[in-house]
Amino acid sequence: MFNLEKAIKSWLKSFRKHRAFNTGAIREMELHLRDHIDDLVHEGFDEKAAFERAVSSFGDIKPMAKEAYWSQRPKAGKNSLINTTMLKNYLKITVRNFWKHKFYTFVNVLGLTVGLTTVFMIGLFVNDELMFDKFHEHKDELYRVVENQYYDGQPVFPVAVTPIALGPSLYEEFPEIINFTRATQENFQFEQDGRKQSERSGYMVDEGFFDMFSFPVINGSVEGFRDKINTLVLTRNLAEKYFPDTDPIGKTIILNGKSHVVDAVVENVPKNSHLFFTYLVNYQRFLTERPERANNWNSNSLYTYVQLNKGASLEAINEKVIGQIKKNNESSATDIYLQPVTNIYLGEVDFVVEVSRKGEMIYVQIFSIVAIFILLISCINFMNLSTARASKRAKEVGLRKTIGAQRGQLIFQFLSESVLLSMIAVVLSVFLIALLLPSFNLLTNKEFVFTELFLADSSLKMAVGIVLVAFITGLFAGSYPAVFLSATKPISTLNAQSITVKQGAGLRKVLVIFQFVISIVLIIGTMMVYKQLNYIQNVDLGYEKDNIIYTSAPGEQSEVLATELRNQPGVVDVGLSSSHPGYVMSSTSGFVWPNQNPDENILIHYMSMDHRYMDAMKMNILEGRGFLPTDSAVLIINEKAKEVMGLENPVGLTMTARGERRIVGVVKDFNFKSIHTPIEPMVIILRKNLNRVYIKYAPEYEDRIAATVQSTWQEIFPEREINYYFLDQDFQEMYDAEKRTSLLSTCFAVLAIIISCLGLFGLVSYAMEQRLKEIGIRKALGASVGNLFVLLTGDFTKLVFISLVISVPISWFAINGWLENFAYHITISWWVFVVSAIAAMGITLLTVSYQSIKASRTNPVKALRHE
Amino acid sequence: MISKNLTAASTKPLILGILKQGNCYGYLIIKKIKEMSGGTMAWSDGMLYPVLHRLAKEGYIQSNWEMAENGRPRKYYQITESGKQELQAEREQWLKVHSLLDALWEVKPSS
Repeated sequence: MFNLEKAIKSWLKSFRKHRAFNTGAIREMELHLRDHIDDLVHEGFDEKAAFERAVSSFGDIKPMAKEAYWSQRPKAGKNSLINTTMLKNYLKITVRNFWKHKFYTFVNVLGLTVGLTTVFMIGLFVNDELMFDKFHEHKDELYRVVENQYYDGQPVFPVAVTPIALGPSLYEEFPEIINFTRATQENFQFEQDGRKQSERSGYMVDEGFFDMFSFPVINGSVEGFRDKINTLVLTRNLAEKYFPDTDPIGKTIILNGKSHVVDAVVENVPKNSHLFFTYLVNYQRFLTERPERANNWNSNSLYTYVQLNKGASLEAINEKVIGQIKKNNESSATDIYLQPVTNIYLGEVDFVVEVSRKGEMIYVQIFSIVAIFILLISCINFMNLSTARASKRAKEVGLRKTIGAQRGQLIFQFLSESVLLSMIAVVLSVFLIALLLPSFNLLTNKEFVFTELFLADSSLKMAVGIVLVAFITGLFAGSYPAVFLSATKPISTLNAQSITVKQGAGLRKVLVIFQFVISIVLIIGTMMVYKQLNYIQNVDLGYEKDNIIYTSAPGEQSEVLATELRNQPGVVDVGLSSSHPGYVMSSTSGFVWPNQNPDENILIHYMSMDHRYMDAMKMNILEGRGFLPTDSAVLIINEKAKEVMGLENPVGLTMTARGERRIVGVVKDFNFKSIHTPIEPMVIILRKNLNRVYIKYAPEYEDRIAATVQSTWQEIFPEREINYYFLDQDFQEMYDAEKRTSLLSTCFAVLAIIISCLGLFGLVSYAMEQRLKEIGIRKALGASVGNLFVLLTGDFTKLVFISLVISVPISWFAINGWLENFAYHITISWWVFVVSAIAAMGITLLTVSYQSIKASRTNPVKALRHE
Repeated sequence: MISKNLTAASTKPLILGILKQGNCYGYLIIKKIKEMSGGTMAWSDGMLYPVLHRLAKEGYIQSNWEMAENGRPRKYYQITESGKQELQAEREQWLKVHSLLDALWEVKPSS
């Protein structure tokens, strides 16, 4: 017997096989069929025939489905994932969620804001470091000529200064070199209207300087520089200092007693130039005074820069010039090569006589890595909190899936939430940067101006960069939660069997461990940096750097000044020398001593001093004696020199060092360079009329000593202004880089631990929320607050303990690598690890305990009442 | 019989034209077309629905369910303003084709 209803049902089934037809459409077609059948029955057909006729008239379903699919297929990008209605809904749900869970939103936004702020600030710093000397138009063709000196038994000795004759000879012999300039720093005494003042940071340069480097002339002209022996080029600031109200061009200033005409004013040297000067003088001025020096190949006294032809190969030219010094000076053991100017600031080679503006690539790298790690920590917070709280969202996901949401749409929804969060964090971090920039400048010794960051040429690039970083951060932070949440099966969420906090817990633990490993490594690293810094500041230099004030006086009158100063109250002693005690750069391989191996070529540093200097600096004589006022033609060697020269009993022997001289003593090794370099052999020659005056004073005269020195100076040099410095301050500056590093790493460590703890706090709060009933039952069954506290904190302290175990070897390797930069360094002590461990544990417990105690003190009635 | 291609091409103006006369549901539309064409159009009924849904999606028509007197729900379609404009455009195009063909066939072959 034919059953119409059955037949229609089975006919409808074939529609359900096709995705193109939704329930509404199928219902519509069913009604069509029924109408048609009714009509046919009305016309006299029986049910079966009517059904068959109607179905046949309706046609084949397949082409229909195809047609429906093609006409309804969502057009990519418009109606699939990103659909305005859905977008609105996502936004609404997002805002609602953010608002509903204010605490977690706060933790997430705060973490991301701090992370992003760190990344942006470090980005500024790194970018600035990397942009050094990139402002020169010909930056890719500019090179500095540097040396590798070779001595027996000593490592390669890299030197940044070169002989006077090198520049012109390279320019003449090699057509690839289209320009050159020599540059040597010289501080001239400026005299204007009878006032004398020594100006620092002057450079003597050749004419090529202006064509090669981009220091724009803002007034006057540098044309014909070469032939104007007494020309003077000022920077904007110095021009304003000497000619505040008038046009400086054509005006005269007396430099070291000679008239010079200001021919041009150039813009102030930018902060990111390795060459720093406030005025420029023609190098020819020096050569006209000392014409015999023009062909000097023996001493390295100045920087030589060259400009190569566009497209010239660096390797090819390096091969050609390598022996240029040896060719002109047979006794030399020096190779030369070209170093790109853009590579000077962050170059890895530690050249002797390097410019004062020198950065360290290692710090740029360390900071970049740390910044990324800190951002990573804050992203992990987001991931952990989102996945831990997945159950709260599971119902929403289940419902969305039930009414047809595809997984891609859900992933899109969650990703857009995290991106939105990250965008909020970006806005906040921009405010934070504006607030923190002055302190950051102090910390990094930079001069970022917030408003300029967004006004400069690169502002668009920067804005795009910021948004891009935020976008990527949002995507990254949201990636795992999005995949995790969208994988929820609707059946399990709607089945009252909601997702438990346990799901994804394994990965969460790994991520927490990762966060704490980074934080602990940073804590250990910071402690080590502090220890090392403390060590090098207090290391026995071999002389006393405290309570020393020093100045420079014209050689012939320095003795008069010294004698006069010795009579002043508070002055303990006064000594004269040729060099700064922490910066002796003169060296030679030309000294001769008894039983010297003729095949050996040994480099020995030398300095000169008077007979009072060693006493004033509290240097220790180990063998023989110090200098006496009656001595002549004598010298003292240091321990290292004794060792290198192979002299058992050097005292009394005669050697050739600036003439025949007798060795009268051996001085205990003292550091005459940075603490980064080991002590080298040194010869100290007794001389008179030395221009550096070192004054040792009694500590209680600290406040008055400068005034005393100044007034004494005024009596002897009424027309000259004095420049004086404190020796210990020089050392402070010498270790500036290390100090900045230690401060920055402290900031990083603090940030890392704060963000990590913030995440932990969020996780703990949530875990407590979840376990409230468990706690209630435990309490009802007699657990004490103490028991519960141990139970609840145990989970998290375990994680931190594992992090400790992992981070100790990592930090050991990292610190070891950094310490190798120093010739003198601390040994890594075990207690640093212990202290770090205690600190990390303490901070964790502190973070966890607030929530744990709060939870374990909850009244069980309250916790269990919900049921 | 009118060819399949021509039938397919004329579906849109036909449906819009019928709806312009008044609201209609799917089965009724088919019935009207069949009556008017005297059964010369080779339609399978089912093919109407994808077209209706596409037109709705394009905004030329809109629909709502109503309860018929016999208690059976029916999905009524109604032409929209933009549907009317579209119909006008279609009409002009068809008339152009028509007049072109007309003109062609009116001309007597030159002897």
